[in-house]
Formats: sequence, structure tokens, C-alpha cells
Amino acid sequence: MPKSTIEGSPGEVKLLLGNEAIARGALEAGISIATAYPGTPSTEIVETLAEVGERYGVYVEWSVNEKVALEVAIGGSMMGLRALTAMKHVGVNVASDSLMSLGYAGALGGLVIVTADDPSAHSSQNEQDNRIYGIHSYIPVFEPASPQEAKDMTRDLFDLSEKYETAVFLRTTTRLAHSRGEVKLGELVKLERKPAFHRDPERWCCLPPYDLVSHQKALDRVRRLEEDLSGFKYNWVEEGSKELAIVASGASYAYVKEAVERLNINPTIFKLSSTFPLPRKLAIQALNFERVLVVEELEPVVEDRLKVIAYEEGLKAQIFGKNLIPRVRELSTPIVASAISKIAGVPYSPPTPVRISLELPARPPVLCAGCPHRATYYAVKLAVARSRIKPVYTNDIGCYSLGFYPPFNTADVMWCMGASLGIGSGIAKFSQDPVVAFIGDSTFYHAGIPGLINAVYNNIPLLVVVMDNGITAMTGHQPHPGSGYGPAGEPRQVIKIEDLARAAGVGFVEVVDAYNINEVRDVAERAIRYVRENKRPAVVISRRPCALIELRRKRSRGEEIVPYFIDQEKCIKCGVCVDKFSCPAIVREGDRILILPDVCVGCGVCASICPAKAIRPVKSVTG
Amino acid sequence: MGVKRALAIAGVGGQGQITLATILGQALVRKGYNVRGGEVHGLSQRGGSVVVFVKYGRGILSPIVTEGEADVLVGLEIIETLRRVPLLSPSGVLIVNDFFLPPPASKPVNREDLKKALKSLGLKTILLNANELAVKAGSPISSNIVMLGALIGSKTVDLSLEEVSSVLSERFKGKTLEVNMNALKMGYDYVSSRGSI
Repeated sequence: MPKSTIEGSPGEVKLLLGNEAIARGALEAGISIATAYPGTPSTEIVETLAEVGERYGVYVEWSVNEKVALEVAIGGSMMGLRALTAMKHVGVNVASDSLMSLGYAGALGGLVIVTADDPSAHSSQNEQDNRIYGIHSYIPVFEPASPQEAKDMTRDLFDLSEKYETAVFLRTTTRLAHSRGEVKLGELVKLERKPAFHRDPERWCCLPPYDLVSHQKALDRVRRLEEDLSGFKYNWVEEGSKELAIVASGASYAYVKEAVERLNINPTIFKLSSTFPLPRKLAIQALNFERVLVVEELEPVVEDRLKVIAYEEGLKAQIFGKNLIPRVRELSTPIVASAISKIAGVPYSPPTPVRISLELPARPPVLCAGCPHRATYYAVKLAVARSRIKPVYTNDIGCYSLGFYPPFNTADVMWCMGASLGIGSGIAKFSQDPVVAFIGDSTFYHAGIPGLINAVYNNIPLLVVVMDNGITAMTGHQPHPGSGYGPAGEPRQVIKIEDLARAAGVGFVEVVDAYNINEVRDVAERAIRYVRENKRPAVVISRRPCALIELRRKRSRGEEIVPYFIDQEKCIKCGVCVDKFSCPAIVREGDRILILPDVCVGCGVCASICPAKAIRPVKSVTG
Repeated sequence: MGVKRALAIAGVGGQGQITLATILGQALVRKGYNVRGGEVHGLSQRGGSVVVFVKYGRGILSPIVTEGEADVLVGLEIIETLRRVPLLSPSGVLIVNDFFLPPPASKPVNREDLKKALKSLGLKTILLNANELAVKAGSPISSNIVMLGALIGSKTVDLSLEEVSSVLSERFKGKTLEVNMNALKMGYDYVSSRGSI
């Protein structure tokens, strides 16, 4: 077994991704359980642990969704073991039902929930601030400022979790999760805990009147933390001028440090890592300054709390925050420098960038060459045209979300995991034509099944197209219940989507090969007819492994990849391949249409749709 | 060399920017620097416009390079280089792979117009055909390592060829290592043979 990036001897300094640092921190705390549903920017935490889990006695699972991931971790904590679960910010929405009860009941074995927030929504449907979940659920929130701190804090939070018998949030953002920095490794601890269920029905059964007792306990816990966290080792004060205090939380700390250096000023900096509950003593210390600027990304969580404490303590500090620091998008050093310059009364002129006058073509992300989703979209649109319907297309979360873009435009609605079926049903009940809902395999297992059962039970005229590439592709190929293997590649039972659909009572379920345009088109056309005639849902599963996985498999087997080319003599320049199918391997050069041999993966779908039969492999494939 | 250096590496998703930045970062960490490397995954994983940052120096560093801040911009493709030029400080150095990959289904752009625009910026510029050198080195996918060699050859980063080679030899094995070593040397030699920039 090759050494993983996070392995090494104590004292060794390694360049680690924020997420890898968290994984290392969890190992140093001696965790026994790590669970997650993949989601950018959180995925690499559990992915890294999956590589090494067996060696360190950690049970690692890719869970079906975030709610189940959290619940498995809670179960582990009830067995007295240390558990980590990681999810993207919107994943916490999925887990929130369990989360709220967890806030009351608390944890036994150390339980760290990583919430990876995404300011600027680089790869998400929103930029919600999950520190508010901490407030809502009474679960304390901690924000590391660097990869080193992410590792150290993860390790220490397991101790804190056990000391206060509460789960804790470790809140990261894309900039921390996906940035690399030097990390000095610590000792790996093996706790040798014997798992034992801690029977305590009054605590673990969320029933009245015990839940009211738990509610009071949770409030007491938060109060206690509000006092104790003033001494938390990742909070500190950097003494500077007496006029201005800057409170910087999490990733903002680095921006503040760079900004004051650029402005050449020396304010007092409160480096804050425990944002909920806000340590009261530290808050009072900051509020004794005439002016306080709070630098935090997204919502004014710290700022608002400071204002409350100022009122309660009768302190008159002027508090600045979201009046100078934007609430939308992530921060940067120039944004922070500009805000500080305003209250510090010093000029700030950002560096003048080099400008170009030329207009550059945009490069939106595209479905890969050979991606089966492209073929599915192309064929389903043919079926729709043949059926003479104008459906509303609902779409879901995955690589196939790119169907939003031309030439496919197969996303009129895109909301959150599984919503293509739910929202699609609401539209379908009242629309002239059937709704076509596109959903990926992993998303189907995650949140599609209840929507499908609902559609059957309530007679919804909905065509569900499951785009099954066998893996959670967008986050970097993590296996799911249909993949046939587990986190470390070990074989597992395959839970088939067609079996689930039939068991849900769907009367029309067919599986097609995504690369076979005619088959997908004909079956989709029949499915549309079925939906219209019966006013009931149909499921078409368009199956083909992810093109990147297939390419990797072929390379490792030493199989030759034979690209296709366009015979210029035969090409009639109709543009179907380049404009309607839009594979990144097919380009226009002057008035010719060409296939880039380095980009083409040889799927051959373009050859099957060429009306002039002008596309062929560069050589015949043997064997 | 200043206390803090900021680099940006621009290209199309899949060109190996992250590998380039990670090797660079590892060599710098080994040299005792504080290093932050930023990157954005997700939707731009394949075929999209991707930029990666490497900052090093002493003390606390933020993970992003903003407009006018970069001392060096390494561009793995011409359009993407031009797109990220605003990151570069007017006194910065531009190292560009003479490789043109227009986005599919976009308005046609002319390669020569782009190169003219590049020259008209009046920046210290090194232009090389890394794809061609990569093929000579043994594999077209080693163009990112050719560009790493060019960066080291430009003497704009506090790293020697040996310091980077030693990271390569730990990261790769066998044939891949051999190809990457060739690629690194070819990029390095191409730039250092041109003398100072």
C-alpha cells in the first residue's frame, strides 16, 4: 500500500489540502468512524480517510445521504466512539432533522460535524451560512483559519466534544477546504475504546417531557461554553493600537493580516475561532475599544452577537461590520483592506491590474468528451420532438446539471438534491404536457426515491430519466449503492435502480444504453406515450459508465483508445455534430469541422448521428 | 527576492495545473517557506477555465491572488492566459505555453490576434511551445511539467532545478518519472538558454 498524503511521522511538515489536514486531525484524535455523502468542498476529508481507514481501524462509509451519514455518526458516538461526519453546507439541510435532536441530546463519544460552506457559491446552489445552524441547534461552531489550524483544531475538538458532551461543528469554507498549506504532523493516537451502547432512554428518546429537560441542558451547555471559550487556545488577541479593534473569524483572519500589512497600520486584532457561542469575556474586551470592525464572510453572526452583548453590558463601542463588508460573495484582501481603510482613515489604492482590450470567448464547464449524459440529452430531445410535446424539464444536482447550457437547455428548474421529481410532480399535475425530470444515479439514491414513490401513489404524469453512470461523478468518483464496491474498492452488493423503481410500483421501467441514440430515443418516445395515456410516471434508466472512469479503466488495461475523424470528402457541413451534439472534441476550424484526436475518447456516438456517415474511427478496432 | 511572492497558474481544467502547483508548493515547504496554494474544484473540474494560486513567504498568507498581485503568471493555454492577465502586477513576468484551445461552440477567435494582444501588453514575456517539448520529453500530457521547468528557468521563484527534481522523484516512478524529469529539464533549458528576461 503506498503512503497516503496524510501519513508521516510526527514533526514532519507536509503540504496538505485543508480537507486532508482535517482528515489527519481526525486520525490524530483516534476516531473510529467517518461518514459522508460527497459534496464540494467537503469530499476529500472522507475520501482521504477511506484510503487509510483500514490501517488505522477507522470504519469509513459513503452514506446514501447526509442525514444518514450524520445518524450513523451519532450511533457511533452513542457507542462511546469518536466519529466524524463531513458534508457541504447544503448537506446540513438534508441532515437538519437529526441535527436538531442532536443539539438537545448531545454526544457521548466525540462527534465532529464538518460543514464545508461555499461563499461565492463556486459549486453550489446558494451561499448559506451554516454558523446559523449552530445557533439554531445549540451546537457550538468553530472556524479554523489555516490548514495547520484545521488539523490541530479537529484533533482538539474531539476532546472538547466529550468534555461538554456535545457535538461540535467545524465550519470551513471553500478557500480553506481547497487550499494547501504547510502542516506539521502530530502524534497518532489509538484510543483502544471498547464499543458499548450507553443505555439512557430519557436522553436518547426525544420524547416529552424529557425533551424539555434536554432543552434546558442544551441552553446550560451553551452558557457554560460562552464563559469557557474565552480561554480557547485558537482565540487570541494581537495587541495594537487602542483606537481600533478588528475581530476576524476563520478564513477572514488571513485577509485581515494581509490588509493591515498593505495599509501599514497596527490595529488590535481579535483572532476568533469559536464563533458560536461567542466568548463573552473576549467580546467585552473588544467592546471596550471605541470602534470595532467585525470581518466575517456571509452573515453578520459575530457582529449581531457583539451588538447584543454590548447592549446587555451597557458598552458604547461603535460596531462596524456588514455596513462595510459585503454580505454576498467571499472576501479577499483588497475588499477587507478597503473596508479597514475607511474606518482607520488611511488611504488605500489597490494595485492597478494589466488590462486587455480583446474580448475573450467564455469557457463554461462542459460535459466531457464521451460523456453518456450528452448522448442521453440528445436522444431524449429527439423523442420529445417526435412526440410533439413541449415539456417542462426539471433537472437535478450532478454533472448533468450542465444540460442547463445550450445546445441542450434541458433544465427549466434546478433546485436541490431530488427536487426534479418533487417540483416536477407539482408542475406535471397542472401542465398540458408531461414533465421530463432528469436525475443522476447517486442523486436518485440520495433523495429521488421518496419523490418517485409519491409520483406513483398520486398518479403524476412524469417521465423520470435516470442518467446512470454508475458513480458519484461530479465530486470525483465516489461509489454509491449502485456502484458495486465500497469506499476502499471492496466488492459490494449492487442495489439496482430498476429494481427500486419497480418495487415503488412504476408501471413503465426500461433500461437503455446511453450511447445507443436510437434505443434511448425510441424508449423515451414510448415512455412519453405511456405517461400521457396513463397519467402515471415512467422511468427510463439511461446507463453507461462515466467516460472518465471508462478511460481510466481502458488505460489501466492497456487498451488502445481509437479516436474518430471526419472524412472531409463526405462531410456535408450540416453542423449536427458540432452544434447539436456539441462534444468538446468536435471543433470548427475555418469552414471545416474536425475532431481533435487528443480529446476524442472514441465513444463513436457522433458517428451514429452523422447524417452523411462521414465520421469513422481512425483505424478499425481489432479484437 | 521580496518577502512574499504570488504566482498564478492559468489553463483549461485537465491540463495539470494542480499537479504543477502542488509540486511547486512541496518544494517551497521543504525549503522552509510558509506556503498557501489555492484552487477551485467543482464545476470547473474538466474543460472549464481554471486558475490556481501559489503564494509563499513568511507569516500568514491568504489563499487567493487578486488583481495586480501576481509576480508571475504561468499560462498553459493562450486564451486562459489572457483571461487571467489582470492578476499580474505590471512589473510581473508572463510565462506562456503557445497552445491554443478555443472553447467548443464559441465565437471563433483568431490565434494570431491573441498572440498580438499578448505582445502588446508590454510585459516581460516568455513564450514557449510546451506541448511540442512535452512530446519530445516522451508524453504530451507532461506539458505542465515543461512549464514548471520554464518557471524555474526564469529564476522568478526561489527554487533550483535540483530542489524541484527531488520532489518529482518522490512523486513519480518508472517511466512517468523519466518523462517528467525530461520535461522539467527541457522547459528549464529552453528558458535559461535565452539568458536573462
